[in-house]
Amino acid sequence: MKNFLFLCAICLTLVFATVIPTKAESLQMGVSVDTVPISSSFDGTEIVIFGSIETHEQAALFRGEYDVVVRVEGAPEDVIIRKKERIGGIWINNKSENYVSVPSFYSILSARPLNLISNSIELAPISLGINNLGKNVPVEGEKTLIMNPGEFSDALLRLRIEQDLFSEIPGTLKQLSPSLFRATLSIPANVPIGEHIVTAYLFRNGEILGTKKSSFRIEKVGFERWIYDLAHENSLLYGIMAVLLAIFTGWAANAIFRKN
Amino acid sequence: MSIYLPIAEMSVNIFILFGMGAAVGFLSGMFGVGGGFLMTPLLIFYNIPPAVAVATEANQIVASSFSGALAHFRKGTVDVKLGVMLLIGGLIGSTFGVYVFSALRSAGQLDLIISILYVVFLGSIGSLMTIESLNAIRKSRNDDTPTKRKSGHDSWIHKLPLKVRFRKSKLYLSVIPVLMLGTLVGILAAIMGVGGGFIMVPAMIYLLRVPTNVVIGTSLFQIIFVTGYTTIIQSTTNQTVDVVLAIILMVGGVIGAQFGAAAGHKLKGEQLRALLGLLVLGVCIRLGYDLVVTPTDFFNIIGSMDGGSH
Repeated sequence: MKNFLFLCAICLTLVFATVIPTKAESLQMGVSVDTVPISSSFDGTEIVIFGSIETHEQAALFRGEYDVVVRVEGAPEDVIIRKKERIGGIWINNKSENYVSVPSFYSILSARPLNLISNSIELAPISLGINNLGKNVPVEGEKTLIMNPGEFSDALLRLRIEQDLFSEIPGTLKQLSPSLFRATLSIPANVPIGEHIVTAYLFRNGEILGTKKSSFRIEKVGFERWIYDLAHENSLLYGIMAVLLAIFTGWAANAIFRKN
Repeated sequence: MSIYLPIAEMSVNIFILFGMGAAVGFLSGMFGVGGGFLMTPLLIFYNIPPAVAVATEANQIVASSFSGALAHFRKGTVDVKLGVMLLIGGLIGSTFGVYVFSALRSAGQLDLIISILYVVFLGSIGSLMTIESLNAIRKSRNDDTPTKRKSGHDSWIHKLPLKVRFRKSKLYLSVIPVLMLGTLVGILAAIMGVGGGFIMVPAMIYLLRVPTNVVIGTSLFQIIFVTGYTTIIQSTTNQTVDVVLAIILMVGGVIGAQFGAAAGHKLKGEQLRALLGLLVLGVCIRLGYDLVVTPTDFFNIIGSMDGGSH
């Protein structure tokens, strides 16, 4: 069923691609789901991002001169990176650096390594690529991530990569035909909830020719959602319930085992 | 089989957690302690965020102490008056402790303080218990005449004013040390995620000289209320109580405790105390080692969206 829908979506994209007259080059893109539900059995998942390259230069397309790069970004958050230092024989969190507006999730999907597709002059202003994060020019009056080069920002990237929250793996995007592409995003179990922005970039000769935006949400559902909402929105009731639950469990254990 | 914890925001193996609950439950049933001092470090070793581990453990101890206290009520080994006095101190201590907990967490020093407190308390109590019980074992081997319980009138604690009679414990004692002990245990319960039995029980025996038969029942009685109160305060100030995690631990814990209690009956009091003392020392050494050994990673990162911290 999923595959069938996926094929339908591709066909539709193709139909529109041929019907609607566009600029010289552009992109179409879709995400296989609107929402990724987190239920009690959630242990990570995969979603598919697909789309097509549209161009009048069919020859260049067939020569494979175009590259597509897809970026998936979670909601921005503030982070603190602390460094342990030995003080009086004990390792203590001492120095720290704070960063604002760090993506809580960041994944680059591409067929080839980014440095073969373009260069940092092109990529840094749009913070495309893990090493180009926080290198964009800040916008006045907006919270922007500015990376302070050094051991703290290195540690930030390294730790997030180790936690599977940041990734940049060539081969995660495949050309199904000269114009059709399909990217597979693996979502780890510790993925942050909220809206994730998907942006696709079309490159030729290292230059950006077009972009396309989409998004999906990661949401707790069912029991997990209910527990989480109750704990945050009605924490007193939640606490009282937790205690009553514990008293009941203690009583039940006592009653069951006394009979035996 | 993995299960997603809604507050810790991570996927965990339900059988590992259940097994941890059962193993700690077995030991706590055997020694008559809550087991929080073992469970909280274990949860932290298992990568549960310390803030969630501490708050959730308080919730679990409500279940295990309630179950234990019921049994002691039936045997009539609870001194309710003494328990209530300890409890008054406990509630004051717990309120203060949760605020200290929040402040330490935002300063990034919570994990360190939790570890240091564990090392200090487990180290001192573990060595005291081990030495005392080994002496008792040696003494009982040399001569079979039971050592007479000290009258209790010689210690400074028994010279303090505001004396009250605790009939069940056959004590005439000042309320000051009782309230102070309650407060101290309340603070520790909040910061360390323990019921405090491992401090309460020795303090009642050695400092207040409460008869051994009512010590555990009375300690459990007041722990129900202190940890119940801590659970509610942690929920409202830090939102770090994970009931899914708590339920798994509770069920494992109460089952393990039944078998532990049966095993405990086969051992003598001083043998039990010696074993518990060694166990406490073991946990202390493990935590102390982590404080001084060079960490594998000098950096750690806390995001405003990380599990258990928003």
